[in-house]
Amino acid sequence: MTLKLLLVADSDSQLLACQALADAARGHGAVVTVNAIPRPGTPAAVLNALEQSGPLWAMSASELLGDPRLDACDAIGVYLTGSKLAEFRSTYRLSRLQRRRPVRPLFCGFNGVVLERFEEAIAWRLGYDLICLNGPRDQARLDLLVRHTPFAGQRSVITGLVRNRPAAAHPACTSDERDRILVFAEQVVMPAAAAERRRLLQILARLARRSPDWQVLIKPRVAPHETTFHAVDTHISHTLREALGSAPSNLQLSYAPLPELLQRSRLLATVSSTALFDALDFGCRPVVVEDFGLRQDLGTPFFAGSGVLRHLADCDDLDDLEGGGDPDPAWLHWVGYHPDFSAANLLAALSDLGGGQGDQAPLQLCHPGYVVNAADLSTNQLRRGAEAAIRCRDYDEAIRLLEIAQLHRPDNRNIGRRLAAVRQRNRLLRRLALLVTPGFRA
Amino acid sequence: MKLALIADTAAGRQACRLLGEALQRCGSTVILLGPAVEPAAPDPAWLPLPVAQLAASELLDQVDAVGAFLDSESLPGFLRIHRQMAALRGRQPRPLFSGPYRPLYGDALAADLLPRLGCDLLCLQGEAQLEELNWLVHGTPHAAQAREAIGLWCLPTAPIGHSPSQEPLLVVLDQPDVPASPFANAVLYERLCAVARTSPQWQLRLQSDQPLPADPQHWPETCLGWHHRQNRQPPANLQLGDPLDPLPGLIQARVCLGIGSDWLLPPMVWGKPTVVLGDYGIRTAFNGPLFFGSGVMRRLADCLPLDQLIGGGRPNAAWLDSRGWAIADGTERLLRRLKALVR
Repeated sequence: MTLKLLLVADSDSQLLACQALADAARGHGAVVTVNAIPRPGTPAAVLNALEQSGPLWAMSASELLGDPRLDACDAIGVYLTGSKLAEFRSTYRLSRLQRRRPVRPLFCGFNGVVLERFEEAIAWRLGYDLICLNGPRDQARLDLLVRHTPFAGQRSVITGLVRNRPAAAHPACTSDERDRILVFAEQVVMPAAAAERRRLLQILARLARRSPDWQVLIKPRVAPHETTFHAVDTHISHTLREALGSAPSNLQLSYAPLPELLQRSRLLATVSSTALFDALDFGCRPVVVEDFGLRQDLGTPFFAGSGVLRHLADCDDLDDLEGGGDPDPAWLHWVGYHPDFSAANLLAALSDLGGGQGDQAPLQLCHPGYVVNAADLSTNQLRRGAEAAIRCRDYDEAIRLLEIAQLHRPDNRNIGRRLAAVRQRNRLLRRLALLVTPGFRA
Repeated sequence: MKLALIADTAAGRQACRLLGEALQRCGSTVILLGPAVEPAAPDPAWLPLPVAQLAASELLDQVDAVGAFLDSESLPGFLRIHRQMAALRGRQPRPLFSGPYRPLYGDALAADLLPRLGCDLLCLQGEAQLEELNWLVHGTPHAAQAREAIGLWCLPTAPIGHSPSQEPLLVVLDQPDVPASPFANAVLYERLCAVARTSPQWQLRLQSDQPLPADPQHWPETCLGWHHRQNRQPPANLQLGDPLDPLPGLIQARVCLGIGSDWLLPPMVWGKPTVVLGDYGIRTAFNGPLFFGSGVMRRLADCLPLDQLIGGGRPNAAWLDSRGWAIADGTERLLRRLKALVR
């Protein structure tokens, strides 16, 4: 049976993850549509690439829930940030029940390697019919988290970290056929400290000077006018000017698409980007920058067993760096870069779920003594719940929900005003106060 | 065995003091070393030496092994100096054991463990930490890192002899850095005032979970105690606990409540009703991942009336076991491993 999938995403990195998943699922015979929730600053190149590879919708979440085409999908993959993930799951189910439409299986996943806050991310994802994980490492972490809890039945599937299909589409050329280029995949917050970002660029510049017959290309995560998940004040181009004044002539920024760079370059260096796996896809030798040590805030511990950690400052030149070893195969398997782990596993798991009939009972999220973010803990959900309670004149419930919302967002004045209004004991005054204070509409 | 235990933080000191007592009960001689930790009161049991001086000190040559329970940031410097000095003196460095001295989990555990890798023995608490260490060192040069789970050694979990107070007492553990914004603390404080007002037959006590400066003027705005001191008309049944030591308050408590404090674990072990405040959800910054499986999370609004808490709040036993509570002979395990190291 051909599965029809819809993938929903908003930020650029989530869209890139969806593109990879869509390509892979199509390779296994699925029909995939991507819905990119409109968001200012999303790089046009990302949207163009999605459009070229298959059907692309551009609806907001609420428009999507009202679109009849939604019910034609066999399963929906949701690639949003934590609170939006939980909200989509809950509003999707409610909207289908209200419209008496079938509830399709929902799945979610991660937009690359998970370097930190894995447990928090899972706490937002619980309740999805399937959580896609990168590899056995993340599976072990999920198992430990939910073991001996009422959520031990959460279903998951390993879909791996192979994101490109190089063998057929872009046959990898040998190292000798490639240009003597080192691509450095920049990340906007790793490292985050301005002094460390300058130091990183100085290390790259010295390496470029020691390697005059090489080119060092810094691939910024986003262009200066674009946005990604993390908001940053200083673009890498500014830090480059600040750190180096005049950069060596063989060190430049490049805004060319990463796959294009990886297909013709010999080396990729990164602090902790998922681009390492893209490099492997395209036959480019990856290197993890170890100059800042193995630090949780840099995400580098993830790569500890990779076999490709290098102190760039200690390298004689880029020829020396190129002579390093390949990634450890056991480590690649452990983190999920292996042919065993692919979108085919997701399609099989979705078929096992009932061929898109959605007849499996969703994981119950409310249990005494347990709290999951996915239950109703997003601030927006709390506010929406409070408004529903006000409409039903259940003011105690509205107070309860708004109090939790206020703990989450103590600086939000509208929550405070609404809470003060609903706390009014005099019925008339409460009614007036509710009329003049802004309710929540989103 | 003669052992030295070194700490440079309040939590590390407390953990070492507990471990020292346990080791002494097993016949070892223990000396406690480390710089004075403000704002905790000076403790005559400790030899007050700065970390760098300690690392180079000949004092350590007189012991069989050294437990370096230093902050993970100061540990690498200590190790470097100690090993360098031993090499200059033509002696072997002392066998070193170390480990997290708080019940850490997830990112916090990984960050704490990384600088400790390479010690002669890594002391962990329970199965959960052992599993996490395995993931961290999987395929790395540290894959064979010597390790031993020695139970919840860092917290006072021994049975308590005191009886709870006559009046029902709810002890709220106040973490001076959680939530991290003064405003968020103000909101939480207001809600606790409301709980106190609606529960006049209860006493509520805000108990800092780490030593606060002797002068309340220097308390951080991110602790509930600071907000209590600003309140000109606090509820009569809401008070502050001992700013230096949470233990007496927890022993007296009928029910304990907190967001993500380490000190929530002792009352769970003692069998006291305990509540992990679930209003903030599972946030790494609030230590939510550690308590996710505890089985005692609930929202503040669901705690009312407080009387209903008295019979409940028992933790998930399997979860508590995997934190280290299942290991009853941790000290003996540690001594066995240390003896093998010294041989």
